[in-house]
Amino acid sequence: MINRMFGFSRSPQEQSLTVSSIFHSAVQTISNPIHANQNNPHNPKHFLQKKSFFEINKPILYLLVAFIFTFCFHPTVLADTLISPSFQIDMSTINMTGGNKSSASYRLSDTVGQTVQGQFNSAGYIIKAGFQYIQGLTPFTFTISNLDLNYGSLIPGTPSLLTNILTVTTGSAYGYTVKTLEDHPLRISNGVATIADTSCDLASTCTQSDATPWTVGTRYGFGYNIQGTDVDTADFVDSTYFRPFPIQDADQPATVMSRVGIATASAATVTYKVNISGTQAAGTYQNNIQYIAIPSF
Amino acid sequence: MNTKCKIPLFLIFIFITLLSPGMIHAAGYGLSLSPPLLRVNIKPGKAITQVFTITNLNNEDKLLVARVVPFSESDESGNPKIDLKTNPTWLNYINLANATIKLGSPFTVKANSSEQLILTFSAPMTAILRDLYATLLVSTYSNQISVPYQGSQISATIGANMLITIHSDVSPPTLLKINQLAPVSGSFIKFGNFYLADNITPIFFSSSVKNDGNFTSETKGIFKITDQKENPIYLEGILPVYVITNAQRTLLNINGGKFSFTPNLTQVGYFKATVQIKTDNSNAENSNDIFFFPFKIVIGIFFTAIFLNIIYRTTKPKVSD
Repeated sequence: MINRMFGFSRSPQEQSLTVSSIFHSAVQTISNPIHANQNNPHNPKHFLQKKSFFEINKPILYLLVAFIFTFCFHPTVLADTLISPSFQIDMSTINMTGGNKSSASYRLSDTVGQTVQGQFNSAGYIIKAGFQYIQGLTPFTFTISNLDLNYGSLIPGTPSLLTNILTVTTGSAYGYTVKTLEDHPLRISNGVATIADTSCDLASTCTQSDATPWTVGTRYGFGYNIQGTDVDTADFVDSTYFRPFPIQDADQPATVMSRVGIATASAATVTYKVNISGTQAAGTYQNNIQYIAIPSF
Repeated sequence: MNTKCKIPLFLIFIFITLLSPGMIHAAGYGLSLSPPLLRVNIKPGKAITQVFTITNLNNEDKLLVARVVPFSESDESGNPKIDLKTNPTWLNYINLANATIKLGSPFTVKANSSEQLILTFSAPMTAILRDLYATLLVSTYSNQISVPYQGSQISATIGANMLITIHSDVSPPTLLKINQLAPVSGSFIKFGNFYLADNITPIFFSSSVKNDGNFTSETKGIFKITDQKENPIYLEGILPVYVITNAQRTLLNINGGKFSFTPNLTQVGYFKATVQIKTDNSNAENSNDIFFFPFKIVIGIFFTAIFLNIIYRTTKPKVSD
């Protein structure tokens, strides 16, 4: 029998001596079909036949079909998760008793008694105080670190910056908002001249509800930035974004902090910025800024 | 003076300087108010009293002033839109019973101590049967015309909300309407009237409710996923919050988040997501059909098959005669 070889009319033994070790694997790959062909003398071109996509991926397709059948036609499974540690049942009424019950598998916060109708009929009122889902009546707390902002002597074209910190704890409330407004723009104490509220940089002017960058030294005015917990970071993107204060009796208060849910000492730093031009009238400029913290219901 | 005398004198000076400065602290504000929410159902001709405790958290006495302002609207998170300008006549129903503290008049709360505001609400016999919403505001009070420096004086206000229903019945008629219930995040697409969703990806739902009635209602109920046979496979409680009249509120789960469901591989086919709210005299429900299918796995297997096929084809021996 004559061995089928590529480019060589030598015996396999002679050929192997001519192939370096680097190409050994390639030689093996080529030679395997040759040997297969040797075992099929009646079908000399067997190894050249193309296999169909189905034949190639037959195992995978079987697996896919089995998978679909398994998951589409499975029997109904009645889950027993109705009693689950992942949820709790809470009821509310004017109660005779109530409280927290728990075991390894459940947690129940309830009140027992259906005396509402009776109490309402006899007393004529029902009072509920606080948020039911927060145990105990804990107070709503609001603090401001500094109430007196002294900008000192203002230098034209050099912004004056001051900060204070607002902190809110919701206690028995479920969420809150802090809003702000000013009585008027910074106004000279014995006159009518004002430092106008800022409109930020000319490229993108800011409004009472939309903060934009205020970085250009020749843009004058008075405004604020706020950074911290429960602040709208989509609006106050960074410390260069400012807004003007809304004006009392003319505008709606602007929200500076808000949260849905319990807040424990949520804190935000407000930066106040004043920048005046060289033509600003000399004098002492003043105003009053008010923060209003109100719980949600 | 010799050196031995100078050293003790210097030390005494240092001690006196460092240990006995005057108490200096920035003027701050810190108040707490409790309770933050008061819900009252009252018959005409009746009166209630509720004590609000205001605590001064500062190290200095504070001059404060209390007032009540109405509101008639709220946002979807239950934040009232207070109206500082209006002064409806029904505000006369609300007063303080304190001997020395009156609404609108300044009072002092000593440093680190509390004061009780004894609030009374008297509903006249002729009162209209309706809801009244108000916020008790306690503000810092300043009688200075202007600050003695160039700058801003900050004033602060803290509030507590009051939701009052005047009605002869303990459960006045309510009308809640669940506006929508729809997936908001997860792997899903809307197809006609139902959603096709992947069943290995958590799916989150949002829902809101509107009070079309004339009285405040509470969002007590459940979010559930049921199978084709209406068997519940997942339950989640709805956070019970108040919805004032003509207001809309976002519904949240007990933890204050969006409703969520994490299906498993065995959950394939039609399911229904439902929100149910039950009040004392009305029910509200909204639901959506969802078809869960292991789309991600099927797509993964499909692409794996193609990938393996490509590998096979590229590594397949090419033999020429």
